[in-house]
Amino acid sequence: MKFFRRHGKAGTACGVGAWTAAAGLALLVGALTARGWGALDPAFFVSPPSRDPSRAGIGPALAGTLWLALLTISFALPVGVGAAVYLEEYAPRNRWSALAESVAASMAAVPSVVYGVAGLAVFVRAMGAERSVLAGGLTLAMLALPAVVATSQEAIRSVPEGLRHAAYGLGATRWQVLRHQVLPAAAPGVATGACLAFTRTMGEAAPLLVIGAASFVTFAPTAPGDPLVSLPTRIFAWTAHSQPEFGALAAGAAIALLLLLLAANLAVLALRRRMRGAHP
Amino acid sequence: MTTAGSWRGAGAGRGTGPVGSSGAGAAGAGPGGFWGVGAPSRALSERLARRVFATCALLAVAAAVAVVWALAWQTVSFFAEVPLGRFLTEGAWAPFSEEPRFGVLPLLAGTAQVTAGAAVVAAPAGLATAAYLAYYASARTERFLSTSVTLLAGVPTVVLGCFALEFVTPALRRVWPSVEPFNGLAACLVVGLMILPTVAALSRQALDSVPRSLIESGLALGASRGRVLAQVVAPAAGRGIAAAVVLAMARAAGETMIVTMAAGNQAHLAWSPLEGLRTLTTFIAQMNMGDAAPGTLAYRAVFAAAALLFLLAFGTHAAGRALLARRSGP
Repeated sequence: MKFFRRHGKAGTACGVGAWTAAAGLALLVGALTARGWGALDPAFFVSPPSRDPSRAGIGPALAGTLWLALLTISFALPVGVGAAVYLEEYAPRNRWSALAESVAASMAAVPSVVYGVAGLAVFVRAMGAERSVLAGGLTLAMLALPAVVATSQEAIRSVPEGLRHAAYGLGATRWQVLRHQVLPAAAPGVATGACLAFTRTMGEAAPLLVIGAASFVTFAPTAPGDPLVSLPTRIFAWTAHSQPEFGALAAGAAIALLLLLLAANLAVLALRRRMRGAHP
Repeated sequence: MTTAGSWRGAGAGRGTGPVGSSGAGAAGAGPGGFWGVGAPSRALSERLARRVFATCALLAVAAAVAVVWALAWQTVSFFAEVPLGRFLTEGAWAPFSEEPRFGVLPLLAGTAQVTAGAAVVAAPAGLATAAYLAYYASARTERFLSTSVTLLAGVPTVVLGCFALEFVTPALRRVWPSVEPFNGLAACLVVGLMILPTVAALSRQALDSVPRSLIESGLALGASRGRVLAQVVAPAAGRGIAAAVVLAMARAAGETMIVTMAAGNQAHLAWSPLEGLRTLTTFIAQMNMGDAAPGTLAYRAVFAAAALLFLLAFGTHAAGRALLARRSGP
């Protein structure tokens, strides 16, 4: 609907505003690259943090973030998609389902740091998981859950009603319709939505900071019970140093985090294209 | 994601359930019963599937309940010792001093400052982005700009905080030497950048829902482009745009990392944006420094602050959604 292709004054003003995001993004990437490029050598990605900036790296932090991703996805994906299926396909449409939906939407708007506080009380203290990768993964799963439910619901809702009716008409049961028609058709949408939710969650530092990830850990976690480390909190810890060399390390780690999230998103886009091909 | 409820009406008929499913639940009657095993196992898998999905839904509800319960528990015990009146009216927040003081106003003032500052940056820029993409940009420009908005939305806040600290503040100090190393101005600018994609995406939705015929008739009557924007589009999309700004401000109020990193965690109530400031979120994040042992009043104060933040965000978000829901009205 391009009514105003030739710009008036208003158009020029809008154009200037419209480039803010692109300019901000370019400045961000440019500034961080300029500051942190020197830190990005192969050893940086494997070595542990150190008091000596020339030898410090993000090895344990990177491993911690991958662990957190694994745990978060394995908790939040089945529960979130299952809940979405129940709400869309099983639950009766009434006041309660409307309430559940609006609560889910509002829970997605609760700041991540609040989830950190809740995770501290529930997982670190009440469940006795201490400041472990497991406690971090569970906290992030709670944080990701509302978004996973909402995007999965949307994907399931966008499956054409005719597909369901056709399958029921052929005598399929509800579960058969779900398993063979609705879920495969909704899968690309669910995967994309869930991946966006998870990559957003993987960049979260605030909740992990609250449950206690800032402690100086120099070894990579090998089990869910190991102490919590992560890339976002590593970046925060380095920016809090007074020595300027650590600022460069933080910028380098920030670039690494951006690349990691970008790679995850691209992988899911490729996966989605493949799934679309299998189930047009 | 946040507007999921709006097109619910489309699938409303589904809740009545398919004709065949209840029959399958009633075992042997279906055609599958011919083989003797088919019917019971099919009925079993039907029941199992329903139960598994219902359990997932219950778990999701339980997670939400756990969040509320965890906050409420400690908050109640906090208010058992600090009266609500003191919490809301006292002018200082110093939970770790010899004589701890728990006046939340300075924290709320800091949160309001950041939220307002970010809105001042993001509302015009986001709205301009939405209008430009909806009405002016060529297809190529539109693709480029909306991709960069999407990418910006995916940047983790800790990276934005790093950007604020390593680039924005030094740049500000070069131009304006009285800016302190930790200042509210850099925090407002970068939080504004963070919520810009939210404003842009949601107000784009609002603009796209303005009927094409309205704009065309405005133009046909000889109104200029600016006049059509101001007098036709703006009133029609007004509620949606207001909702976009409100929902984005809810995100700004809860932002932790950017504010903690850029504005520090100053104990005093600062009104100048050139100095550091302190918000509800920076106080909560400060707890990781190990100052608050479990069970102490300061530890419980963190939960009280988090509960307040929860109510603020939940309330603002509900208000934004209410605005969106009423948008289609007259």
